[in-house]
Amino acid sequence: MASCTYTVPDKAASGDNFYGAVICNQAYVDYFWNTYGFSGNKAYWDDGWGWDDCCNTSKPLARAFNGCYALTYSASDYLNDSYSAPILNWGRRYVRENIDDLRSFCGDGTAIARSKSGGLVEVYLGFFYSKDVPGRAETLIHESRHQGGKPHDANFPSGSVFGSGKSGADSSWDYEGAWMYGALYLWWYFAEGARTTSALRQRARQRGNLVIDNAFATHPGFSI
Amino acid sequence: MPSKSFDTPFLATPDTLEIRQAEHPFSFLNSKDEKLNALIVEAVNRMGGVGDDAEENYRRALNSLTKRGPSVLDVILAEYENLPEDSYLDRWSLVQLIVELRYPEAVKSLNRIIAARIPAEKFRKSHDMSTVAEEVMIRTTAVEGLVRLSADGVVEARDVLLKYAAHRTFSIRRACVQGLMQTGTDDDKRKLRRLLKERKEEALLKIKQVDVRSAPQPIGGRFVVPAQVKREAPPPDLRATKE
Repeated sequence: MASCTYTVPDKAASGDNFYGAVICNQAYVDYFWNTYGFSGNKAYWDDGWGWDDCCNTSKPLARAFNGCYALTYSASDYLNDSYSAPILNWGRRYVRENIDDLRSFCGDGTAIARSKSGGLVEVYLGFFYSKDVPGRAETLIHESRHQGGKPHDANFPSGSVFGSGKSGADSSWDYEGAWMYGALYLWWYFAEGARTTSALRQRARQRGNLVIDNAFATHPGFSI
Repeated sequence: MPSKSFDTPFLATPDTLEIRQAEHPFSFLNSKDEKLNALIVEAVNRMGGVGDDAEENYRRALNSLTKRGPSVLDVILAEYENLPEDSYLDRWSLVQLIVELRYPEAVKSLNRIIAARIPAEKFRKSHDMSTVAEEVMIRTTAVEGLVRLSADGVVEARDVLLKYAAHRTFSIRRACVQGLMQTGTDDDKRKLRRLLKERKEEALLKIKQVDVRSAPQPIGGRFVVPAQVKREAPPPDLRATKE
């Protein structure tokens, strides 16, 4: 067991202030808990993680729910989660079908999240406190893609902000790996994200371009 | 369907977390104008809005701030520089605010933000956490501000874009090149091409901004759950209820 402390940053620009006011409804709490892998994992969301205080956006569970809200409702026609629609629509479905267990841990400061065997995804402090709300949805999609059978298969290119030559990149856009899924989700969020602001959409664009520029061994040749 | 029983009793001991609530992130040490300070806080706050009226509320907050004129830039930049280095999202929000206000006088501030040295990576062992990435996103957002000003005809913005087309960080170079090619004059583009040829970086010109609909999309549907198992999400605009 690890014990950790965290000083909660400002909740304004991240989106947590406003998303937090929305998710505080039992219908959402029940839906997110039962749909995105929280169910059966109460112990991992207790003891300071927010299980008994799930509307408090200073705590991890509410911040995870905020990400789940963005994941679920950012397409204007959110009820259409067909795989023939944009990933903005079916991202939630992909997460639902690939993450069985979503558990929170302090982490050792070297990762936002990790995908383990058997549908288990671990999320660490950075997921809650360094990612903005749409960025948390991006992370869930990224990890779901690992669960879907796509590990990273290349080293980061020269000059990458993620570390030149380190493992953890995807070989190309066409590999259809976790970085591609995350970047494409952010791209659609920028282009057509609903119930959000142009500022958060711009943030998604900047993050999406950063991934496109730095997380593929071969640059895709386009940008957002 | 979940492959386990709900909330199975736990045998091991999980991690525990204690949170501390921070004070307001902004200090406004350089501004005693409380109304102006409140307008800045409100605009940043509305950036993170959600709901059908989120953009309208954000625009309203920006309009109130715009009425105060370009003198607000000094307050915002001072606030940006007073924030702790690791307050990446708060720092980014202030840069985004400068971008949105679209004052020609912002060129100097945006130049200063991009020019600042990027501190060394603090998460060297990570493949998904990167402090350099956060710093780069702050600077590419500042580049976006220059691109908008260049589109408005601000010559100084184009000069700065040309300068940072030779930045050491790839994403900043790429953003400057694309921005200048889209908004610069023929003379700007000529200078840019000459610079890229000298640096043997003409490949940057081949990276095109495209619409998401024309990007290759993944093939989904490989792990389809039977329709009878699917549970529909509740509507997105239920009123919040206090637990």
